[in-house]
Amino acid sequence: MTDVRAAARDASARIAACEAKGTHAFLAWSEAALLAQAEAMAASPAAGAGALSGEVVAVKDVIADATFPTTCGSRILEGWRSPFEATAVRRLREAGALVAGKTACDEFAMGSSTEWCAFGPARNPVDPSRVPGGSSGGSAAAVAAGAVTMALGSETGGSVRQPAAFCGVVGIKPTYGRVSRYGLVAFGSSLDQIGTFGRDVTSAARLLAAISGRDDRDGTTLDRIPLGEPGPVAASLAGTVIGVPREYFPEGLHAGVHAATRRALERLKDLGAEIRGVSLPHTKYAVPTYYIVAPAEASSNLARYDGVRYGLRDGGASDVRAMYRATRGRGFGAEVRRRILLGTYVLSAGYYDAYYRKAQRVRELIRADFARVFAAGVHALFTPTTPTPAFKFGENLADPIAMYLSDVYVCTANLAWVPALSLPIGRDQGLPIGGQLIGAMEGEGTIVRIAQALEHSLDATAEVR
Amino acid sequence: MSVTRTDVEKIAALAELAVDEATAAELERQLTRILDYVAQLGEVKDDTGVAGDERAARLRRDEIAPDPLHRTPRDIAPAFQGGLFTVPRLGELDRGDDVP
Amino acid sequence: MSWETVVGLEVHVQLLTRTKMFCACSARFGDPPNTNVCPVCLGLPGALPVPNEQAVRLAVRAAYALGCAVHGRSIFARKNYFYPDLPKGYQISQFEEPLATGGALAFVSPERGEMTVRIKRLHLEEDAGKSFHDRVPGMTAVDFNRSGVPLVEIVTDPDLRSPAEARAYLTALKQVLRYVEVSDCNMEEGSLRVDANLSIRPAGASELRTRTEVKNMNSFSGVERALTAERARQIAATERGERIEQRTLLFDAASGEVRPMRSKEESHDYRYFPEPDIPPLVLSEAWLATERSALPELPAARRERFEHSFGLAGPESAVVTATAAIADYFEGFAAKAGAGSGKEAWNWVANDLLGLSGDGETIPLAVERAGEVVQLVKAGKLSRQAAKRVLPELVAASHDTALEVAERLGLLQVSDTGAIDTWVRETLAAHPAEVARYRAGEVKLMGFLVGQVMKRSQGKADPRAVNAALSAALVTTSG
Repeated sequence: MTDVRAAARDASARIAACEAKGTHAFLAWSEAALLAQAEAMAASPAAGAGALSGEVVAVKDVIADATFPTTCGSRILEGWRSPFEATAVRRLREAGALVAGKTACDEFAMGSSTEWCAFGPARNPVDPSRVPGGSSGGSAAAVAAGAVTMALGSETGGSVRQPAAFCGVVGIKPTYGRVSRYGLVAFGSSLDQIGTFGRDVTSAARLLAAISGRDDRDGTTLDRIPLGEPGPVAASLAGTVIGVPREYFPEGLHAGVHAATRRALERLKDLGAEIRGVSLPHTKYAVPTYYIVAPAEASSNLARYDGVRYGLRDGGASDVRAMYRATRGRGFGAEVRRRILLGTYVLSAGYYDAYYRKAQRVRELIRADFARVFAAGVHALFTPTTPTPAFKFGENLADPIAMYLSDVYVCTANLAWVPALSLPIGRDQGLPIGGQLIGAMEGEGTIVRIAQALEHSLDATAEVR
Repeated sequence: MSVTRTDVEKIAALAELAVDEATAAELERQLTRILDYVAQLGEVKDDTGVAGDERAARLRRDEIAPDPLHRTPRDIAPAFQGGLFTVPRLGELDRGDDVP
Repeated sequence: MSWETVVGLEVHVQLLTRTKMFCACSARFGDPPNTNVCPVCLGLPGALPVPNEQAVRLAVRAAYALGCAVHGRSIFARKNYFYPDLPKGYQISQFEEPLATGGALAFVSPERGEMTVRIKRLHLEEDAGKSFHDRVPGMTAVDFNRSGVPLVEIVTDPDLRSPAEARAYLTALKQVLRYVEVSDCNMEEGSLRVDANLSIRPAGASELRTRTEVKNMNSFSGVERALTAERARQIAATERGERIEQRTLLFDAASGEVRPMRSKEESHDYRYFPEPDIPPLVLSEAWLATERSALPELPAARRERFEHSFGLAGPESAVVTATAAIADYFEGFAAKAGAGSGKEAWNWVANDLLGLSGDGETIPLAVERAGEVVQLVKAGKLSRQAAKRVLPELVAASHDTALEVAERLGLLQVSDTGAIDTWVRETLAAHPAEVARYRAGEVKLMGFLVGQVMKRSQGKADPRAVNAALSAALVTTSG
C-alpha cells in the first residue's frame, strides 16, 4: 500500500533541493499543495490501486490543471487559473499520481531553449551555463535534476525529445492522436501532442500509457487500440530491423553526436538487430515546412488572447481595438510575436497558396517517406535527436533560423504524426547526447521495446570520444 | 521574398498586435529572413498527387452535458457587469448593428 | 434609362438542436446571460470543438429540402477576425468544401410569377455571442450564451430582380425550412438573419456590376424596404454620373434609409484554412440516403396533393398549406369533421377556423370540436353566421360541447315546424298587402316576408325551414 503522504513529502524535499541550485525548473509548486493533494488522494480508492500510485509528476505549464496556475510561460496568462483540467492530468490523477507543480517552458511552447519563458528560463542541471532545451525545458530539467521521476511535456516540433536529449533523460512523443489535447493550450493544432519524460524508458512509457486513449472531448484522438504498459526488457532484438536514414547523418555532423550514435548502433547490432540504410528524401524540407504550418496555426490559436474574457487586459485603452493591440503587444514576447506575424502572413490573401497550402502538401510527402520505409519492413528508425549537445544561454537568440535548425531531426516526426522517443546514449565532454527512435503510426510499443533494450545495454553517462 | 514596413504594419493590424518603430524595423529583417528560408519549398515539384486527409470526424450526440466550469465567468473576467463581459466601446470596430 | 436590379441573399438560420454546434452546452434562447457557457464556447485556453450530430442531420435535411447536392465529404474551416463576441478570434465555418451546393427554390414572384432561385451553397457554422451597446454606459457588454449555437448559411445566386421578389423568396424559404423542422426562421427573434447584395445594370445588360451589401434588417418587410432604398440610392447616384463603391450599408428601420457603416470599410482578409481540430465531415451514402428518404413532405408537394385530393385551386391550396401544422389540421378536418366536399372543408378552415389562430400557424380548436359545430350547421340548428360566434367561445370554454355553447349564447336555431308555422301565419296576417302583391306576381317580396318571419323569431328560425313554410303557406291560402 503506497504511502501517498510520504511520497508527497519526499517529492517536496527533492524539488526544493533542485530549485535551491537555481535550476528554476518550476514556475509553480509548493509543499502545501503537494500535501493537500496527498490528503485528498489518501481518501480515494485510486491511492493504492492506480497504475501511477505514489508517483509525483511535474506538468509543463501549457497544460491546464486544477491545482496551480497555467501561464504558458507568458505574461498574457500570468496568474491564469484554468476553470477546467486537461484530460491528461485528470487521467494521471485517476491513476493515483500527484501533480508536483508546473514547469518552465518557452512562451506558448514556441522555442527550443526555454529562454523565451517570460518568467525566466530553466537551467540544464548537467551544466547550468547551458540551456535545458525547449520548449519543455523545465520538465526535462526537473527529471534530470532528480526532483521528479516523471513529467509531462508537449511537442509541436520536438519540444520533448530535444530537451530530453540536452538534459540526458528519456522523452517520448506519441503518435498524433494518442493523447487527448483537451486542456493542452494549443500552439500548432495539427502537430501538438502531450509527451512524457522519465528518468528511464520504463517511467516515461508508464506515464504515457496512463494518460493515453480516446477522449470524446478531442475529436482528433485515435479510436483504436489503447497503449499498453511497457513490458520487461527484451534480451534480444533478433528479427528487429532498424533503419538508418542517410539524411540524418550528414557530412560534418558534430563529432560527439556522431560517436554516440555509432556506439549505439553497434549495441543494437550486438543485440541482434539488423541495421539497414534507408532514405527519407524530403527531410531537408521539414524545417521550412514546419515553420510555415506551425506559426500559421499558432497565429489563429493565439487570437483568443484578446483581453475580453480572461487573462491580461490593458486597462488604459479607449476603445476595443486599442485594447487588443496594447494587451497583445505587451502580453506576448518577441518570439511569439514573430511567429504570430509570420503565421498571419503565410495565411493572408495572396500568400496562402504558395506557403500554407504548399507546406501541407510537402508535409504529405514527408509522411509518405516514412510510410514507405516502414512498409518495406523496417520496424523503427534510429537517428541522432539533435545536431549538437546543449548550447549555451544566448548562443542562438540573435538569429531565429539558427534556433529553428536545432529541431531538424525531431520536427519530421511531428509533421508525419509518427511516434518518436529520445534516450540518452552517452556524453561528450560531460554533455548528454540523445539517440532517437522513430516508429510507424501507433508503433509506440515497438520503439519502447527497442529503447528499453538499448538503454539496458549501454552506459548513458559514459564519454563517447 | 522581401517584407516591407507596410507589410509589417498591415500584418500587425490583422493580428491586432501593437508594434513600435524599433520592433517593426527588426521584424522587417527577421521576417524577410525567415520567409526567404521557407521559400525553398517552392523547389518541391513532386507534390501534385498527394493524399488528402483520410480521417472522418467523430460526431457528438445532441445531449446537454457541458464540461463544468470550476470558476464562473464573473471569476475569470477582467471586467464583468450585470451578468455580462464588458469591454471598452467599439470605436473603429463598430459594425453599426442595432441590438435591442 | 431603364434599370434592372440584381439581388442575391445570404441567409443565416439557427438550427433546432438541444446543444451547441461544437460543445454540449444548451442552445436554448432566453436563459440568464453567460449561464450556458463552457470552456469550448468561451474560447478558453486548451478547449477543443466536437461537432453536433443533430446539427449535421438538420443541415443535410435543409440541403435536401432545397434540392441541393449534399457532399459526402466536406471540411470545416476557420474564418479569422477579431470582435468582442467572437471568443476564439475565429469562427468555425466551411469555406472551400461546403456541405452542399447546387440547389434551387421555386416560389411565386410578385412580378414574374412562378420562378426558381438557384441556391449556390449551404454550409454549417457556429454563431457568435451577442453584443449589447446600451446596457453599460460607454462600454460594450457581451453574452456568450449564443456563442456556438449551430447555424446554416444559405447563399443564393444573384437571381432575384426586385425587393418584393427578395421578400417572396424569404417567405418561401422560411416555409420550406419550417416544414422540415430545421429552424424557427424567426427574424424578429434572431433565428433567421439576412444579408443582401444588390447591384443595378441597364435593362437588358448581362454583366454584373459593383454590388453593395445591406445588413441590419429585422423583418421581411424591412428587407424589402431596405432594398428599395438602396436600389433608389444606386440609381440616383449612377444617373448623377457617380461610381458605385463596394461597401456595406446598414438599414435604419426608423427612417427607412440605408447608411454606410460608421467605420472605414476594410475588406476583410479572413485567412481561411481548414480547421485542424476537426477531421473531414464524412457522410456515408447509406446515411445520406436515409436522410433523403426521411425528408418530410415539402410545401410544394403538399400544395399540389391538396389541389388534386380536395379539388382546390392553387391559391386556395396555398392558404391551407401555409404551414405544416395548418396543413395537418386541414387534412384531419377534411377527414373527420363531416363538412362534405374538399371545397366545403376548405371554406370552413380558411374562412372560419384560421381566424381563430393567434400565431397564424396553429389552430387552437381540436378537429373533433370544430366538427361538432359543422354538424350543428348541417342539421340546421345553427346558422353559418351564428357558427362564427360559437367557435371562439368553444376555444375559450374547453370543457363545453358546441351544443352547450350555442344554447348558452341563445344561438340555436328553431326548425320546429309548429313554431315556424305560427310565425309564418302571424307574419302573413300582419302584412296582407304584401301577401296580395306577392300572389299577384311580385315574387321578389318573398325576401321581405322571410325577413319579417326571421324578425318575429328574433333571428332564431332556420331560414331554410322558414322559406319552405312560407312558400307552402303562400300557395295554399288563396284569397
